[in-house]
Amino acid sequence: MLLRCRVPLASFELNIDVSFEARITSIFGPSGSGKTTLLDAIAGLRPVTAGEIAIDGTLLFSTGKGINLPARQRGIGYVPQEAALFPHLSVKQNILFGAGRGRRTDTPPEIQLAHLLEVLEIGGLLDRPVTKLSGGEAQRVALARAVLSRPQLLLLDEPLAALDIGLKERILPYLGRVRDEFKIPMIYVTHNLTEVLALADWVLMVQHGKLLAQGVPKEMLRSMTALEEISGDQIDNVFTATPLDSDPAGGTSRVRTTRGTELLIPCVSAAAKLPLQMRVGADEILLATEEPQGISASNVLRGAVSSIDFIGGEAMVTVVSGEEFLVRVTSSAVARLGLNAQSSVYLIIKARSFRLV
Amino acid sequence: MNFSFETWHITFFSLAVGLASTLLILPFGIALAWLFARREWPLKSIVETVVLLPLVMPPVSTGLILLKIFGRRSPVGQWLYDRGVEIVFNWKGVLIAMAVMSFPLLVRSVRTSFAEVNPRLEQIAATLGASPLRVFFVITMPLAYKGIVAGALLAFSRALGEFGATILLAGNIPGQTQTLSLAIYNYVQTGKDSDAYTLLGITVALAFLFVWSSEWMIRSGKNA
Repeated sequence: MLLRCRVPLASFELNIDVSFEARITSIFGPSGSGKTTLLDAIAGLRPVTAGEIAIDGTLLFSTGKGINLPARQRGIGYVPQEAALFPHLSVKQNILFGAGRGRRTDTPPEIQLAHLLEVLEIGGLLDRPVTKLSGGEAQRVALARAVLSRPQLLLLDEPLAALDIGLKERILPYLGRVRDEFKIPMIYVTHNLTEVLALADWVLMVQHGKLLAQGVPKEMLRSMTALEEISGDQIDNVFTATPLDSDPAGGTSRVRTTRGTELLIPCVSAAAKLPLQMRVGADEILLATEEPQGISASNVLRGAVSSIDFIGGEAMVTVVSGEEFLVRVTSSAVARLGLNAQSSVYLIIKARSFRLV
Repeated sequence: MNFSFETWHITFFSLAVGLASTLLILPFGIALAWLFARREWPLKSIVETVVLLPLVMPPVSTGLILLKIFGRRSPVGQWLYDRGVEIVFNWKGVLIAMAVMSFPLLVRSVRTSFAEVNPRLEQIAATLGASPLRVFFVITMPLAYKGIVAGALLAFSRALGEFGATILLAGNIPGQTQTLSLAIYNYVQTGKDSDAYTLLGITVALAFLFVWSSEWMIRSGKNA
């Protein structure tokens, strides 16, 4: 994906020059930084002053070569923030609206409607008018509509922003499943860090129409700018894991993360979707320099500090213990424990601090 | 009340030409309303003003302009006459007068309903591979159809009420160009009051029906 474009806006000019290869790229930044504008420009819905936009080496736009494909020929699926379902059509008609389109590349992956409906759990909604859908249902229908047009790129504009927390946590896994099952690269705009950590493997940070930084989400998170942007926000560690065994009487399940860390989490029901996605807040993890004895927390993990970043009175400590854990503590705690980038520490996490996504 | 053959003829003639005029302007009105609502182009505001002129100008003035355009001494009128088409002082004159006078009402109504369609829906339809024509006929038109129907009803009732432009362009010829409005005027002038009241009753009933259904369309459109 190559993005080199200048887009005029009312108060400033969006100016982006990046090239990246990632399954899910997140565009992360505060409101008003030009994120939606950038998506519109990629989709061909907004005039671009100058630059080049290319996917998989195919030029969609180029001022130099005089190329400007109209939106309908770009093969880009777009899920806008407000879902934008066609209100006069049924759910089924909405989903099938773009299904007739052939893909421009030579390798069209077959997407089975039944499978898509199953992944997004919207099979039961087909005959409903779209005006009778909840926010979460509407977002999933919009996602299905975009996926079924077999795009070579999916643009998602804060698809979870309008939803309440509970709904968010339920829809996030659907996006993960679309990513894994349909192999469509995505650009995911958000100002929510948890979503970045849960989904993206590359992140572009934008502010006032400029690219501030880009990188792997966990590394980006450690950058000072990122911390400034999100201080006050809840920061979550997100892990993918498979269950090993459960102890319903004891109220816990033992799971192993993709990097082999074993953790005790609240008892997982047999009906839970696999693999499990779970998270724990950076504020909910304790650090100790000696192995604690006689405490209630179920998880005591030995790890090594890999970096400490200070911002204001806070410190973001990254600890590697199989997985990478972000732990947010006060600067004075870092001083009291004498932590540095080589320290050996224990992570203390209550089983109940883990939440399933 | 006096429902003579003449009364029915006048009513039928008015309804038929009014309907023809509405159907004639519908495609042009929809196209122009879309251009006004969705596109920016040079001289747009000038064209908008010209289209709306018949709404505010005295109808007789509009009729005089039409007479000058279509009269046999004008190039247009001469050109048409050479091809065997005569507009002035026959039913075609009535049709043209009705069409011109009701056109602005149609365009205004349809334009508003197009403007109320969320352009984001059209954009998303385009990203799903829809051609501009498919976007228009599958997204824009269905979402605006209530405004279009309401506009057509308004235009139709305006056409039925046409007087000033019609009498200049088509005259007031019984059995040939005489519409409801012209006939009422004629009957009153010639002292046939009871005939005039019959036609008056018909016009009031028709007007009530059209305005009421037009308002009903607009209201139910808002609720959808």
